[in-house]
Amino acid sequence: MLKIENLTKHFGGIKAVQNFDMQVSEQEIVGIIGPNGAGKSTILNLISGVTKTDTGHVYFENKEITRLNQYQISRMGLARTFQNIRLFKGLSCIENIKVARDCRISYNLIEALLSFPKALKTEKNMEKESLKFLKLVGLEKHNDIKPGNLPYGLQRKLEIARALFTQPKILLLDEPAAGLNTAEVIDLVRLINQIFHEFKISIVLIEHKMEVINELCDVVYVLNFGNTIAKGTYNEIQSNKDVLEAYLGGGDNA
Amino acid sequence: MNSIIVFALINMFGVLGTFLLTALTGHLSFGQASFMSIGAYVSGLLALKWGLPFPISLLGGLIAAAMSALLIGLPTLKLHKYFFALITFGFGTAVAALLNHFTNITGGAMGLSNIPCKTNFLLVVISIIITIGLIRNFVKSNYGRMCIALRNDEIASEAIGINVYKTKLLVFVLSAIITSYGGVLYGSFVTYVEPGMFGWTKSTEWVIYVFVGGVNSLTGAVVAGFILNILPELLRFVSNWRIFIYSLFILIIFNFRPEGLFGEYEISFSMFNNVYKNLFSKLNHRN
Amino acid sequence: MQHIVNGFSLGAVYALIAVGFALIYNILKFANFAHGGVMVISAYFGYFLSKNFHTSLFTTLIITTLFGGLCAVIVELIAFHKIRHNNSPLIYYFVSSLVITLMIENLIAIFKGATSYAYPVFFKETSFLFGETVISYVNTLIFIISSVILIILMWLIKYTKFGIALRAISFNLGVSKLMGINADGVIIITFFISGLLAGASGMFLGISYTVYPQLARIVVKGWIATVIGGMGSISGAVIGAFALGLFEVFLISNIGSSLSTVFIFLITLGFLFLRPQGIAGEIFTEKA
Repeated sequence: MLKIENLTKHFGGIKAVQNFDMQVSEQEIVGIIGPNGAGKSTILNLISGVTKTDTGHVYFENKEITRLNQYQISRMGLARTFQNIRLFKGLSCIENIKVARDCRISYNLIEALLSFPKALKTEKNMEKESLKFLKLVGLEKHNDIKPGNLPYGLQRKLEIARALFTQPKILLLDEPAAGLNTAEVIDLVRLINQIFHEFKISIVLIEHKMEVINELCDVVYVLNFGNTIAKGTYNEIQSNKDVLEAYLGGGDNA
Repeated sequence: MNSIIVFALINMFGVLGTFLLTALTGHLSFGQASFMSIGAYVSGLLALKWGLPFPISLLGGLIAAAMSALLIGLPTLKLHKYFFALITFGFGTAVAALLNHFTNITGGAMGLSNIPCKTNFLLVVISIIITIGLIRNFVKSNYGRMCIALRNDEIASEAIGINVYKTKLLVFVLSAIITSYGGVLYGSFVTYVEPGMFGWTKSTEWVIYVFVGGVNSLTGAVVAGFILNILPELLRFVSNWRIFIYSLFILIIFNFRPEGLFGEYEISFSMFNNVYKNLFSKLNHRN
Repeated sequence: MQHIVNGFSLGAVYALIAVGFALIYNILKFANFAHGGVMVISAYFGYFLSKNFHTSLFTTLIITTLFGGLCAVIVELIAFHKIRHNNSPLIYYFVSSLVITLMIENLIAIFKGATSYAYPVFFKETSFLFGETVISYVNTLIFIISSVILIILMWLIKYTKFGIALRAISFNLGVSKLMGINADGVIIITFFISGLLAGASGMFLGISYTVYPQLARIVVKGWIATVIGGMGSISGAVIGAFALGLFEVFLISNIGSSLSTVFIFLITLGFLFLRPQGIAGEIFTEKA
């Protein structure tokens, strides 16, 4: 479903990513790990269109998306979350969810301005649908409050719910377990599993916490200094000597 | 007294346009008043020199404003907010300079007179009510949500599929149209316009009104815009100091209550419903 | 040739304005429109100083410059200080700076009204001939003094401890504070310096044109200069300023002052379309 060839990104003199390849099939969970600064978030940014790659191609469902804008890629069915949670502080929780489908909605500007029944009906449906997604992450009681008042773990879940509401075929998660305590991590893994089985999507997961990767991922890519140093199942890479060297040689780990 | 209210209401179109732009995109414009100039001049000229009927000249004014908004929005809304603000300022000065220069068409510094008078109190009041209604609907719709989203975080908005650039352009053009409509009404009410009428000072005044009311509150913009506009007329003796006092006022608000007087508070129909229901049940209890 | 000389002279004043302006933009990431307000009030101050006390050019310049610095610090304290501590979004700084200039412009208009004032003549002979071009003494002086000020400033930023602190803060305010840099102090000093520049440019503008309340709006030329030269780059601001000065003189002499306003607007628009990073700068993009 997602095919990445030879991505490279330089920032000034720093080679953030070099010759990165990756494949993601239908209904697969792929993990990307590596010490801090290995280039993981950059890869996510390159795929989702936040940054433009220097070389290489990205194909999504056999269509080339390398040079497309973020919003175009999102509309094709690729959703993502951010490492430092980017929720809309001026919107309530339920509005944060609703806004994810706002650009795909069926009523147009004139109908909105004049409050046509079609617009009102669509809004009602949106309300129902959004509540369902809030329920999925356990936030149905918080629908009217602003996300800034939520605890960190719930904010993460809200962001995932929002990404999910765009009805993606693939979901990219950037360190979803960062900043969560043990109980929250277990809850997160449960949620991701639930999403995976219920929505039948593929997931690409960047993580530092090894138990998350172990639980969820079919395939794991290991990065260090922008280069891919290993690829395989969790067990395979766990005993790979390059990986061990990268981590023990001063990198971060779970 | 009548005309004081009419002027305040016409001015409100500028405040509403500014509110739309600032509340929904977070961009500031210092040339909004020029859209009023454009609306007034273009419709005035169409009526005066080509004898076109009011609806057509009105449309002409609005289209001219929309196209100018496109002209300056297209390159600058892609860039950092600072560039947009700078260009709107330059736009304001450029429009005034153009109007001053082409004396044979626009009357230059002497202004354009004898515009046919087509506006009356009723038209202005109805227009304002309709405009406020339209803006309220816009804010409550999916467009409104997308705008607040992109104002909060452009990257996250793009990540969920919002075309930030196109949405900003849309809002900017709408704000230009609303403001220029006020200009058309002005021109055909006063029957005279001149280049200096709508300058940077006026645009900034509107920004002040919006922020005093609370940049997130339509109610705030309307109330603050109306009252702050009427106040100096009622307090003639300080009219010289008006801008100074308002500037001081907003500095105080910024320092001590940055969310504005109204914060995020909005009057809504449900409030009227509640008041009505309360009254009703009280009457029933009496019986 | 005459035009070139005039253009350089104008460019020098614009450069002072642009640099003072760019300084604040680099550190605090907002366009400080209050710069214009400080300029105009310094222009008036310098005028009354030299008229009532018959001070020489240099004395007036020095006192006015210091006055400008003082005003800028006052502006920072009443308009920006609390907003910074409230963590208000950038837009508030911008509106605040506009409001300050509006206030100053109106205050001056109320008290000193419609008359514009001309600075007293500082030299017995106003100009000299260089070949066939007329070069005014005052303009030459303005050019020299502006250049000196700019060179000192560049040295300050590049080589002193203060300059390094300044650049640190412009990268990351929070981390700089953690590293022990007294951010508030550095910011106040930065405003002071930009105020010095505003004071000097205000006085020079007053000499070159006349003193009137709307002088503040010339700060927009400083903006335009930073756009042309490149945001985030002080040397870019200087280049842009000189380019603008030359260009403007050329335009005015050919098509008159109103149309040249329109042209400059269109050109700025064009630059934003085609090369928003200006000649020397970079586009500031957000990181995900």
